[in-house]
Amino acid sequence: MALDNRKINQLLQSFRANPYRIFVVVTPHTGYLREFLVKEGDEVKGPTGKWLEKLGTPLFILEREKNPKTIRAKASGIVSKVNYELEGRFVEAFEPVLEIKHSLTQKEIIAELLRKTLHIVTAPEKARYFLSPELAKKIEKEGEGKVVVKPGEELAIMSFMKRETPILHEGPPMVVFRVFFSQGQMIEQGEPLFGLCLENERPYVEKLISRVKEEWPA
Amino acid sequence: MKDRVLIANRGEIALRIMEACENLGLDYVVVYTPGDEQSLHVKLPQAKGKACFRIASYRDANDILAVADEAKCTAIHPGYGFFSEDFRFARRVVKRNNPLIFIGPRWEVIRDLGHKLNVKKLAHDLGIPVIPGTIIPLYNELEAEAKAEELFLWQEEQGIEPPRVLIKAAAGGGGMGIEEVDDLDMVRPVFRRIRSYAKRLFGDDGVVIEVFIRDYHHLEVQILGNQFGELVHFGTRNCTIQSIGRQKRIEIAPGFDPKYTDYPFDAQKVLDEIVKHSLKLASYVGYDSVGTWEWLVTRAGKPYLMEVNTRIQVENEISARISRIKGKEPNLIEEQIRAAFGERLGYTQQDISFKGTSIEFRLIAEDVKHGFKPLSGIINRFEFPSYEWLRVRTHVPQDEPYRIPTEFDPNLALGIVWGKDTFEAERRGFKFLEGTIIEGQTPKGEPLLTNIEYLKKKLPEILKFL
Repeated sequence: MALDNRKINQLLQSFRANPYRIFVVVTPHTGYLREFLVKEGDEVKGPTGKWLEKLGTPLFILEREKNPKTIRAKASGIVSKVNYELEGRFVEAFEPVLEIKHSLTQKEIIAELLRKTLHIVTAPEKARYFLSPELAKKIEKEGEGKVVVKPGEELAIMSFMKRETPILHEGPPMVVFRVFFSQGQMIEQGEPLFGLCLENERPYVEKLISRVKEEWPA
Repeated sequence: MKDRVLIANRGEIALRIMEACENLGLDYVVVYTPGDEQSLHVKLPQAKGKACFRIASYRDANDILAVADEAKCTAIHPGYGFFSEDFRFARRVVKRNNPLIFIGPRWEVIRDLGHKLNVKKLAHDLGIPVIPGTIIPLYNELEAEAKAEELFLWQEEQGIEPPRVLIKAAAGGGGMGIEEVDDLDMVRPVFRRIRSYAKRLFGDDGVVIEVFIRDYHHLEVQILGNQFGELVHFGTRNCTIQSIGRQKRIEIAPGFDPKYTDYPFDAQKVLDEIVKHSLKLASYVGYDSVGTWEWLVTRAGKPYLMEVNTRIQVENEISARISRIKGKEPNLIEEQIRAAFGERLGYTQQDISFKGTSIEFRLIAEDVKHGFKPLSGIINRFEFPSYEWLRVRTHVPQDEPYRIPTEFDPNLALGIVWGKDTFEAERRGFKFLEGTIIEGQTPKGEPLLTNIEYLKKKLPEILKFL
């Protein structure tokens, strides 16, 4: 049984003790870091809105091939560290630029809890993953946490070394409770792809979610 | 101004370009992406104090050009794959505000020879043999059926049993949108299917029909030209031993060897013919770099031009190994760079002679028994013997464990042997394969498989029509 009450309590306690995560913002590509638009201690917001259509707070300007690009916050929080010495310099791709101390939201706490409590299907290789088209269609129709997969059914497609390999469900029929990746995302080997639970475990999981919702109001 | 080359590639080809630059006294700059830090194409230049830039992707033109400007490069070498045959990239490199030298053919040549059907038409107009079939895309079902009937009849006359045609998307490639048909009644339905597939996938519903040739050898002609119209060849190669996905595994230069095995045709005559035809097309388009003309040669000794690769290739070095310019072995990457920098050849075809046989083995982490499935994992032990007749090209370090990146093909090394004749080269090939050890494990903890046993099994088949 994946759902262990004691383990869940421990996890919730650790969230209470340290409800923060540090997000390191890196350069998406090379270019000149023209200007910082925030300083240490500033509060920044990640994208908001139903479709995340409202952009996050501008953080810095990166100019490449005469094309200035505003890099924005992807998470809300307080700017906790800025590498000021990069200003005006040519930077490589994936260079750490600043850090954001982010308070965990209710949704994130639920996601982390589920990653640790559900039956997890992990990535067999570092690769790009795509949700199986049939499963995607079903989830879109019935909603997350409703669709049951039977043994042998396709969960995802792994795109690896220019080849595509299906990832099939093994074991008893289970509910696809959470999908932990977005279409075409590169996932490290061993990281979770899916969180599954048995039909009879679903009430426990749902109870757990409402418990978090009580403790951490949105 | 001192010339500096940006090497826009990874792995063994990046290392070979570095070596060529060093031999020519050129400075160079290296790029890499996360996951490649352990590769020798990054570690060796770092140790020499060369500039190495981390970029977002080897396919990110903006990053490559931004680094080129920042590092004050004057030229870009694309290697193979990635941007090597992208005429838009080549054009951008030479036409931007801060123009750079693109080490490869002129962009117009890449564009014109990059399109298979265009090559077929050019070749056809010049009287160069191409696979019988359409040379312009068909859009009409009745025309397609008439063409297919003509091709079936032609095969019957030639005694080809059973006659078959391939119906394929004109804009396709890499085995996509291609079907085999052996019945005239099936031509129309398959034509319709391919046409709608092509429309969906490539946005162009043009369809090509040609004779399906099964029993053939894959030959290549190595060409070198420059902007002064000087044009030479470095002989032929045979790349028939391929995986089921049509990736080469063993390559041999020269392309045929009548002293090694018997052919049902005059092998030397066929080799001379494909060289002559390749030079004719190269001369016609004003080919100005290294390039490979790919041919099919049937068991009956009929050659057909298939396509042109307007870049340096994995297997170019075996041609260099058997060639001598005024008695000295050439380096084709150096020749390619010299051509791009506007230098004259300094020799003619008469100065080029050929000596012996060279075989290249591609060592790959793959499960040959399961459809050549590529494998990832960690290599813990990598050893190969040292002989004066052997050259090993690899980016895999021997002094520390190496994690195979999963974003690329798991090519580990190239083993290139030379012998005074094919018999000696074959014996040395076995000696190299016997003495090479690659050990490691997959992410599941199983022993990492390589294709070494497969290469040993295939080695006796080289150059032969079995």
